[in-house]
Formats: sequence, structure tokens, C-alpha cells
Amino acid sequence: MGGFAAYLKSWVTGIVSLLTGLKVSIVNFFRPKVTESYPENRKTLVMPEHFKGVLTMPHNENNEHKCTACGICQMNCPNGTIKITSQTIETEDGKKKKILDTYLYNLGQCTFCNLCVLTCPSNAIVFSKDYETAIFTRSKLIMKLNNEGSRLEEKKKSASGEA
Amino acid sequence: MFDFKVLTQWIDQSLRALNLPDFGVLVIELVLVGIALLAAYAILAIILIWFERKICAWFQCRLGPNRVGIFGLLQTFADTIKILLKELIPINNNDKILFYLAPFIVILSSMLSFGALPFGKGLQAIDFNIGIFYMMAVSSLGVLGVLLAGWSSNNKFSMIGAMRSGAQMVSYELSVGLSLLTMVIFAGSMQLSQIVNQQADLWFIFKGHVPALIAFLVYLIAGHAETSRGPFDLPEAESELTAGYHTEYSGIQFGFYYLAEYLNMFIIAAIATTVFLGGWQPLHIPGLDGFNHVMDYIPTPVWFLGKAFFCIFLSLWVRWTFPRLRIDQLLHLEWKYLLPLNLLNILFMALIVIFKWHF
Amino acid sequence: MELKEKILKRLPDAGFEDAQYPTVTVEPDKLHELASMLCREEGYDFLVSLTGVDWGDSLGVVYHLARSGNPLDMIVLKTATADKEHPQLFSVTDLWETANLNEREAYGLLGINFINHPDMRRLFLNEKWKGFPLRKDYDASPENNPLSIESEPFSDKLRSLSFTTQGDIIEKEKELFGKEEYVVNIGPQHPSTHGVLHFRVSLDGELIRKVDPNLGYIHRGIEKMCESMTYPQMLHLTDRLDYLSAHINRHALCSCIEKAVEIEVSERVEYIRTMMDELQRIASHLLGWSAMCMDMGALTAFIYGMRDREKIIDIFQDTCGARLIMNYNVIGGVMYDLHPDFQKKVKEFIPYMRKIMKEYHQIFTGNVIADERMKSIGILSKEQAVSYGVTGPSGRASGFSCDVRKHRPYAAYGKIKFNEVLREEGDTFARYMVRLDEILESLNILEQLVDHIPEGPYQAKTKPIIRIPEGEYFQSVEAARGLFGVYICSKGDKSPYRLKFRSPGLSLVSIVDLISRNEKIADLIAIGGSLDYVVPDIDR
Repeated sequence: MGGFAAYLKSWVTGIVSLLTGLKVSIVNFFRPKVTESYPENRKTLVMPEHFKGVLTMPHNENNEHKCTACGICQMNCPNGTIKITSQTIETEDGKKKKILDTYLYNLGQCTFCNLCVLTCPSNAIVFSKDYETAIFTRSKLIMKLNNEGSRLEEKKKSASGEA
Repeated sequence: MFDFKVLTQWIDQSLRALNLPDFGVLVIELVLVGIALLAAYAILAIILIWFERKICAWFQCRLGPNRVGIFGLLQTFADTIKILLKELIPINNNDKILFYLAPFIVILSSMLSFGALPFGKGLQAIDFNIGIFYMMAVSSLGVLGVLLAGWSSNNKFSMIGAMRSGAQMVSYELSVGLSLLTMVIFAGSMQLSQIVNQQADLWFIFKGHVPALIAFLVYLIAGHAETSRGPFDLPEAESELTAGYHTEYSGIQFGFYYLAEYLNMFIIAAIATTVFLGGWQPLHIPGLDGFNHVMDYIPTPVWFLGKAFFCIFLSLWVRWTFPRLRIDQLLHLEWKYLLPLNLLNILFMALIVIFKWHF
Repeated sequence: MELKEKILKRLPDAGFEDAQYPTVTVEPDKLHELASMLCREEGYDFLVSLTGVDWGDSLGVVYHLARSGNPLDMIVLKTATADKEHPQLFSVTDLWETANLNEREAYGLLGINFINHPDMRRLFLNEKWKGFPLRKDYDASPENNPLSIESEPFSDKLRSLSFTTQGDIIEKEKELFGKEEYVVNIGPQHPSTHGVLHFRVSLDGELIRKVDPNLGYIHRGIEKMCESMTYPQMLHLTDRLDYLSAHINRHALCSCIEKAVEIEVSERVEYIRTMMDELQRIASHLLGWSAMCMDMGALTAFIYGMRDREKIIDIFQDTCGARLIMNYNVIGGVMYDLHPDFQKKVKEFIPYMRKIMKEYHQIFTGNVIADERMKSIGILSKEQAVSYGVTGPSGRASGFSCDVRKHRPYAAYGKIKFNEVLREEGDTFARYMVRLDEILESLNILEQLVDHIPEGPYQAKTKPIIRIPEGEYFQSVEAARGLFGVYICSKGDKSPYRLKFRSPGLSLVSIVDLISRNEKIADLIAIGGSLDYVVPDIDR
């Protein structure tokens, strides 16, 4: 009869366990829903402080950036995401100076490791907070970060500006 | 209560008034009924799919479809169009005839049983005197389509799925049959219209004491298993067999299986409604005449669909809570638990009927 | 040293080194003798890691051995053969089962043949691959191995080398599957392999007769990539191994490098790292739980797990700026200081998680269907767990006490009280329960730490170019899936000479065949869910 008692017990425990499961799911049925309605919530969506969207090079109002074309970011990038071309010009006082020609950034290869931003000695690049970076053509993933006709921000200016 | 016979007889008389021969009238009426049923079939499927998606989402603390149309109501229409436009991918090295035939068998079986349902007072296309027997017979034809699909696909997953399906259907057909038989004993008839009429004062589930309640639960479980939906979705078993017997089907061929699955769910709920919950009969409580009178104002198809959707909700609740059974558990559940219970239940029901213990 | 004398008595010409761990170097023909002495007599029954190395003029293997009683009291064996044309070493598969896949990996990537190995197929690369990538003279030009878009049939021939009685080496071949076997592909595209894992399963009806894992679909050669990167550069690759324990993997590499170059990290960093590791562990276990429920057909439970994991991900996002690949640990500290809301959010999360765990148990653990599907299914004994090197929750479910946090506390683990969750059954249910209980244990750890984060710098000053002094270093941490080890062999350059990640996933996948034989297909899926492997961690 032990077998039969166990059989009856299995009926009871089975039904009880199934009912507890049903209870949990019906409780959740009436709980507030957790889905976020994107893109309707675009306005309230705040990206966190350290969010890494797209690498950008901020320019000031005079179309000046801080990049000295030193190439440290390019060297530190583990994936070959950054390509810097520079030219050497002679300044008025006869010194040779390297200036930035193009700063190419390939979003398609970037793994957002942040090494370029961390190692940049002149804080010329930052990650933007753009989060809608998907596009249809792969070639558009290669971006030129420096604006047309931009030049290097004069050190004196920024120093006096900060002071 | 509005009797839909008024409507159908009016159609019949106006057709005859056109001086058509009897045969012509019959053909026109058959076509009309066919169109009405097909339309109901398609619309119900679309509503059911939307209903399941929403309910499932709410169980999972999600919002569910809410992009196409208000509350996502048009989502399933969009999906239907999509599935109609999708390419049918031909497959090499399979049994072509059986492969293309299988979805039709599945959908045919669900159509056939759909046709005999009493949707409202006077709204029944055909009223066999062996209605329940007919329902069970045609609805179990579907497994043939599943087996053929699995066999003709020439795919190992499909084959395993079809074999599982065979074992499952054969087993659970038994419980479905026995639980309905319990109620046939109680009603003394297999005719669906008679069964419904007998429940005018009180539904069978209340009339029939505990055995009717047990038969109702067993029928819901076994019927749920018949539709092969989770936790009994072993023939498909997404995480084991990718898609089981319909792995190789694409486009509208897959759509047929999908449609049949949802309609089978509805048919199971509809039979449960008819046999246990009074079909299209409004809720009547003996003694409360005023209440009963108010209930009569709600149209009978609304009662029918409302009860059917309640049963569907129960089935969805189960589906979205439990993990899938393993094949041995599935067979244990039927042969060790449901079947003995069912047999005992029939015995009790017979005693109740003999000694007239019911209300 | 007692052991040293014993070894010298047996093998007088063994060389000894006192590096980070005692290191013994022997000739290839003596290796098996020494290994079996260590394994059978001295109790070194746990092969932590097996690393093939190209030493330039010779090809060798480094074995990290430990005792199962104390998995971090290690001894290192080294051997090498100068014959680079036909390198042959002796297999240790008969001593430690985990050597099986690891030796196949060494064969595939370095071309070392292992005598007496039962199955010399390449592990990650296909049979047609030209060259051996981890050799220093490997030609990586794409012309050598052009991308093929043709489907390539699998090689089902198990090749093994063994000695005849005359002392010659003969090659034997055996078919993997018989002609009559019903072989089903589970993967590489399959809903429940969680990535591109490929099992070929021989079925007898519903029963499983044999499982052959076919790995390498996502093999990126991270170890090879690291050899050409500087130390800060390679950090971002660790997040992409087992992406569900990204923090923990990166912690391992960072602390290995920090130990090697002797950088002191502040106490604050240690606390932050510990808390992040524990949050990561909870997130990973939640996902493991969810995915297992989904594999077993309970989709709703899956969503509940994901819903609650989201709260941890939000905490990560605040501080690290990313949700999955966090990029947080750096050499000498962490990348950013904690977000001001960090403590508040963690304190809110702890009681919430404790409460919601009860629901998990109600909806799934106690469920009669789930219960019967998990109990007494896929049993792994303790001896097997040790021999196959199965660590983490799966090993502890078999009673193998292997928690690195307990045995060799790192970061702030020495300062807190917590229990190692151990179970004896070794079945699917035990693995499942260990994971859930570890979530609670991690919550306890978080609770002890959250209010006591000391002030201090979050980054130590490091040199701009980090060079690790010549030598070999091994650091292990407890990742969400088991012992994650980093082995660095440095020649004093700014990039390592050889770097090996000891991934817990490879051991996990090696036991699938063992424990799912004679179970049903549905059980294979449940076993897979309970082992909770992550494919990029297996393939690396």
C-alpha cells in the first residue's frame, strides 16, 4: 500500500506545486509592465555619464579643435579604428609644426575600449552620447572627425580663457 | 433571446421566392454558409493570435504588440499579409505529394469540427445527432497531417516531432473521449443542440456535482495537450527540435499549421463551453428571475464567445506558466493520472445518473 | 621541500625553478611518469590548465596542477620537444580527462601530436587549415587559408597514435559514428545552444547514445591577438570571452598584470572590483537561470529573470557607461569612480532580489514538471568533476570545493564572511540550485561591502608603457562559470610572449557527452542549461 499512498501523495504535491506556479504568474499578470516604449521615450531617455556612442572631436565657436596630430590615439587603438593624416608646415617664426589633415574614425571597427580618450594628451576627443548610430551604408561608418577648414586651438588662448 | 433561425429562415424564404429550383437554393445556401464559416474561421484566428500575444505579454510584465494600430490590433493583420507573401521554399529529396498534402489535412480537420459548433441560438450549420462523436472523430484527423508532415519532410527533427505527436495524440484522445463520455452519460444525448438546451436552467458544470467539474478539468488538460501547445508542445519543442514537425515548412504552408493550432485551441474551448458551460445559454441561476431576465438580453453568440475565451484564457495561463513536459512525463500524466481518474469519474457519473443525485 | 626530493629521487635530471609557483621541467619521455606520480601518489588530481607554448627552438606544454582539496596550491610542469617538424609528446588524458580537449587544442593551434590520445582531431580549426597559428613562425596571410564558402564535410575519423610492442609509433583510425546511427545536429544554429555551439548527437529514439561537440565556430584567436598587443590594449578582449562575466575576466587579467609589475591597487579599487564582480555574478546567474527555464519551455520565467537582471545592468550602466561589455577594470584600478547613486541602487536591489527569489522558487524550482526533469538527470560525480576540471557552480554541485574566492581570497574577499555553496548530488537540479543559492550568497557579500567602501584613489599611477618582467605568471579568479585563469609568459616586452586564458567553458562542454549519455534529448537541453556554458568562452 506504500506505493499507493505515494501515488496519492504525488497527486497532491503535484497539484499544489502547479497551483503555486499559476499563482505567481497571475500575480505578475497584474503587476506594472516593465517594457520601455522606445522611441516614444526618446525625450526622457538619458544616457549615462560615461556612455560611449561615437568618437567625436569637439570644436569651439571659431572652428578650432585641440588635436595636435600626435598619433597617440592611433597607436593605442587595438583595432586600427583611427587613421590620422597630418602635414608638416612651417610657422611664421620658422618652426616646423605638425598639423592635422584628416582624422578618420571607423565606427564599424570600434570596440569602445576608451583607450584613445584616456590616452589623448590634449583631451581633443570625446565619446558622444548618440545612441542611434545604425546606418544602411557601411562606408558611412568611416567618419572624418575634424571639421572642414578647422585648425588647432592656440594654447595661449585656451590658457587665458581658463584663467 | 434572439433566435437566429428567424434570420436563416428569412434568407431561405427569400431565395425560394426567386423561383429557383430546390437544388439551386441548396447550393446557394451551402456556399453562403461556407463563406460565413470561412470568414469566421479567419477572423477568429486573427483575434486569437492577438489575444494570445497580449495575454502572454501581460503574464510576462510586457506590453505586447502596440505598434500597428491601436493596442496593436492590426499587428496580426500585418503578419497575415506577411505570411501570405512569403516564399514557399521548395525542398529537395522529400515526398512532394505528402509534403504538400499534410498542411491541408491539418486545416481540414479543424475546419470540419469548426463547422459543427453551435455559436448561438439557431446559429449552427449542421446539427448531427452524434455531434460529440463527430467532433472527436474529425478533430483527431489532424494528427494524420502532423505525422505526414514529419515523415515527408525528410528531416530528423521533424521525424522525432511527428513521432512524439503520434504518441501524444493517441494517449490524450483517450482522456478527451472519456471526459466527454462522462457528460454524454449525464446528458443522455450526443446531439450538441440537445446538450445545450438541457443547460437552459443551469449549466452542466454546476448541475453535475463533482464529476462534472473533474471532467471539465480533465477535458481542459487533455484538450490542451491535443492542441500541442505548451507545456505539451513536445511535437514542436522549440528548444529541442527547433520547430519539430513543421521545421521544413515555410510561408503559408507553415501558416496553415499556425492557423490550425489556434483554431484547435478555440475548438477545444468551444466544445468545453458547449458541453460544460452551457454553450450559448446565458447564465441562469434558479430562483433569481430578474437576474435571469437581464442575462437574456445579452446576445447568445456573445455568451458563447465569452465563455470560449474564458476557457482559452485558462489555457493560456497554463501555457505561459509551466515548463515543457518530457515525453515520459507526458505519458505518465495520461496513463497513470488522468486515465484512472477519468474511469473513476465515469463510474461516479453513472451512479449519479442512476440514482438521480443531480439537480 | 619534501615533494622536490621525492621527484628528484624518481627523476634525477628534473629541473626546478622557484617562480610564482614551484616549477618542474622534465624531458618529454619522462613527463608521463612524473605526471602519473603527481596525480596518483601526491594527489595532484586537478589539471587546472594545459598550455601549449612555442619556445622558439622547441615546442612545449605547460601544465598547471593542483590538488582538488586545495585547488590553488599549484605546481607547474613543463616539457618541450625540439623536433618542430614532427613534435610528439605523451598525452596525459589517462590521468586527467580534461586534458582531452586541451591537448586537441594544442594539436590544432601548435601542431603537437599527443601519443596515446584517443582522438587527435583539431579542436578549433578545420582539418584543412594550413599552418599552426600559435607558432611564432606562423604565416597569417589570408592567401594561405582563403575564406571558403563551400560547405566542408566533417572529419569523423578519430586518429590516435600509440606504441607497438616493438616501440614503433603507429597510427590508428576509428570512425566516430557508425553507418547505422541516427545523428542529429544540435547546433550551430539551434535555439538552445546559446550561440554557435555544435553538438552532433547520436540518437536511439529519444535516447542519447553519444554526443560529439564540434567547437570553433566563434574562435577568434584572442590568445594570438594578445601576443601582438600591449597590455592595456588586450584588456578589451577579455570582456569578449565570457561576455556574461566580463568584469570578472577583466579583473583576472588586470590583477595578473598588476602582480607581475607590482602595482599596488588601493583598497577602494579592491572593494569596487569585488562588488562589481558580485553584481556581475548575480547578473550572470540570473541569465543562466532564465535561459535554463526557457530551454525547458518556461518562457515566462525567462522574462522574469531578464526583468530583474535589467536592474543590475542599470547599475553597471550608471558607473561604467555600458551595459554588457563594461570596459571597467584597467591596470591599476578602474576606469571611472563609482556613480553617486551606486550605493543607493545596490541597497535597493538587495532586498528586492531576496524577495523576488522566492517567486523564482515558486514558479520553477518547486514545479513538479521542472522538478522531475532536473532531479537525478545528468549526474556528475565528484571524481569526474575533478578529473574533467569542472569548476564553478557545476563543480560545486558535485561536491568539488573549488571556489577561488574561498581558497585563495583575492581583492576584498578575504575581509568578508560568506559560504561556499556546495551540494553533493551532482545532478541537473543540484547545478540549478547552486546557482540560485549563489545569488543569495552574492547578495550577502554585497550587503557587507556596500556601506564600507573606503575612500581613496580609484586608479593607481602606472607607467605609460607597461612591460612585464621576464617570467611566467598565473592568476585565477572565480568567474560566474568557474575558475578563470590567466597565464602570461613574458620575455620582458610590452606585449606577452604567450598568453593563455584558462576558460571554465571548455571543461563544461567536455562533460556533456559523459553526463547526457542514455538520457533523453529533452534532458540534453536541460543539462546544457544547467551547465550554463557561454560559447565565446569555450572558443576564445
